[in-house]
Amino acid sequence: MKGTNPFAFKFNTMALVLIPVAVGINYVGKLFASVLKLPLWLDSVGTILAAMLAGPWIGAITGLINNIIYGLTIDPGSAFYAITSVAIGLTAGILAYMGWTKNWTLAFLMGLVVALVAAIVSTPINILLWGGQTGNIWGDLVFAAIIARDLPLLLASFTGELVVDLIDKVATVLVSYIIYRSLPKRFLIAFNNENKTEKF
Amino acid sequence: MKIKVDNLGFRYTGGKERALEGITFTVNQGEFIGIMGKNKSGKSTLASALVGLIPHFFKGAMRGNVYIDGLDTQETPIAELCQKVGIVFQNPFNQISGAKLTVYEEVSFGLENIGLPRNQMIERIEEVLELFGIAHLKDRNPFSLSGGQMQRLALACIMALRPEIVVLDEPTSQLDPLGVEEVYKSIAKLKEKGLTVLLIEHKTEYLAEYSDKILLLENGKLKNYDTPERIFGTNPGIQAPVYTQVCQALNKPKENGLYPVTLKDTIPLLKG
Amino acid sequence: MKVYTLYVPGKTYIHKMNPLTKLLYLAVAIAIPFIAPDPAITMACFLIGIFILGWAKVLHRVIYLLAMSILFISTIFIIQGLYYPGNTTPYLILGKLTFYKEGLIHAMVISFRLVNIMISASVLVLTTRPSDLISSAVRRGISPRLGYVMSSVLQIIPQMATTADTIMDAQKSRGLETEGNLKTRLKAYIPLLGPLVLGSLVSAQERAMALEVRAFNATGKRTFLQNEEDYTVSKAINAIIILALILTIIWRIYS
Ligand SMILES: Nc1ncnc2c1ncn2[C@@H]1O[C@H](COP(=O)(O)OP(=O)(O)OP(=O)(O)O)[C@@H](O)[C@H]1O
Ligand SMILES: [Mg+2]
Repeated sequence: MKGTNPFAFKFNTMALVLIPVAVGINYVGKLFASVLKLPLWLDSVGTILAAMLAGPWIGAITGLINNIIYGLTIDPGSAFYAITSVAIGLTAGILAYMGWTKNWTLAFLMGLVVALVAAIVSTPINILLWGGQTGNIWGDLVFAAIIARDLPLLLASFTGELVVDLIDKVATVLVSYIIYRSLPKRFLIAFNNENKTEKF
Repeated sequence: MKIKVDNLGFRYTGGKERALEGITFTVNQGEFIGIMGKNKSGKSTLASALVGLIPHFFKGAMRGNVYIDGLDTQETPIAELCQKVGIVFQNPFNQISGAKLTVYEEVSFGLENIGLPRNQMIERIEEVLELFGIAHLKDRNPFSLSGGQMQRLALACIMALRPEIVVLDEPTSQLDPLGVEEVYKSIAKLKEKGLTVLLIEHKTEYLAEYSDKILLLENGKLKNYDTPERIFGTNPGIQAPVYTQVCQALNKPKENGLYPVTLKDTIPLLKG
Repeated sequence: MKVYTLYVPGKTYIHKMNPLTKLLYLAVAIAIPFIAPDPAITMACFLIGIFILGWAKVLHRVIYLLAMSILFISTIFIIQGLYYPGNTTPYLILGKLTFYKEGLIHAMVISFRLVNIMISASVLVLTTRPSDLISSAVRRGISPRLGYVMSSVLQIIPQMATTADTIMDAQKSRGLETEGNLKTRLKAYIPLLGPLVLGSLVSAQERAMALEVRAFNATGKRTFLQNEEDYTVSKAINAIIILALILTIIWRIYS
């Protein structure tokens, strides 16, 4: 993705077709995690891969459509977190453009940033909708523990969400990074809209 | 002249070698051309260049020109070219758009895109479904079809755009024997209707039976472009149809000195 | 073939309604309890939703959705009842735990809101074919390319789930350990997901080619195979829905 304007809002067919596939990868990534009984969701590998391959906008649209489709088919509540998914896609896409897919250390840092962004965006949604709870057992335990000590709601809610997101998002980004690095080179250029055919 | 390929060369972005180099040939209206060559010899790349996917979809470095019915593919968008030249690929699954719920609607995908009025759309859909023998499946989900049925659907979708040229890139290589049979019945219909067809195929018996001429590719270059009898007679490196092999072994050439390539031509020789 | 949708086919008036009207209803029915956080108003939205679902004969399907959220609702009552910052009036004492009135009321408001969201969403989701919703949106000016993306998601996910099964079987038969300690199971993740990603990118490329040669990138005006249903009544319904929204906003300002 490097070397092109990451915000050009013009997509080739390849990039558009990547979106449903990436939503499918999110779904299957989550499926495999639950089949293997991993203590992680790993439900946004597709969004992050799409962002790495085709840039922040495609990552963002993948996140958006992912949650809308979940909302329409499995779990209406997840539509609200479309905003979080969009933020994850945007963040991963921008960092990938800045070259954070070069090595393990940077990929790990990308995971941390993505987790932080996810928690920051989810917290207001949690507060607005469910009085600050995360909807996850571990997150809610942390939330309850903090709020029981009379600490501010915002802090409790954010910490609860971050606890949930931190390990999961770092793992998700690392998994995406491993897969991204293993892809044949032709896929890394296929989504790039600015490659031109020239004469030789 | 229906197709004119002039000194065509292409290297994919990121590719080390040129996938095609110095390709020049022409095809006349109504001709049936077989395309042969080993794996990676550039057959699919040539097919992509004929329908405009090169240079509009695959990027790289290109030389030379391809003219379809007089249109230069480099200057004509694929959305326009597809009404002159259609293509069917290997994998039946990946040609289903995924956006439509029934076979009938699936055919409409391309027609909606080109903005065809609704009444003409219905007329064309019914015509192609009938032609390729899948009219009885019209309310089924496209993904629920068998491989052979799906591939005929792909052909129907392309033909609904009324191209005069059809490129078939190994259309039966992923099908079971029954599917192969079904698809070849449909290909025969294209020939009957007088379309210009270019067929990429490894099964030489089919190639020999249908083709007026065969184009042989080797390492991205045009090795030979001639009638099936001469192609199979003069290129010992390639696998000839069984009929040719049998007559060669029995040393029974035709009157013109060449060995037959089809069953039809073989029978009289073996009888006599 | 398995298709992931909650849609329940039917012939009721709700089924035949313009999908965009139902979308508007959904947005307004969710927004109202936030604009006016009054239990009675939330209750009213909830009851209207129930009534519409009953009319569409899909009420029984909602029970399943609600059952799934019972666990979450209980945690809302526990946590808010115990720790809601505005808690002052003890209401219920169980051993060492004190539940407060304010927290429980707050929990009730939140839970009602949650249930209301599920009910209102169900009106759209259970009675509308996703493809109808998408094609209505495309007719109203959403990009057909985006429309394609939305509709193909619904068909591609089941395809990929099937591929996932195949890969799982193949890798297991090659000796991949998918059970055992956490490390073993973690190590199995990439060998499962990696091939799926590669395979689906290859398919994506082939599908993109197939779409291109069917004029996917045409720039002219498009036509539609299906005639648009005549949704004249829905103009009136749209007006009522928007009026309800405006009334709520006015109520909020003056109360
Ligand atoms: N998208 C691509 N990017 C880079 N290189 C490619 C791409 N597609 C094909 N190639 C390369 O171009 C060459 C010709 O490939 P092509 O697919 O045209 O051969 P083919 O004759 O169709 O082979 P097969 O019998 O396997 O279908 C090969 O070396 C191949 O690796
Ligand atoms: Mg090929």
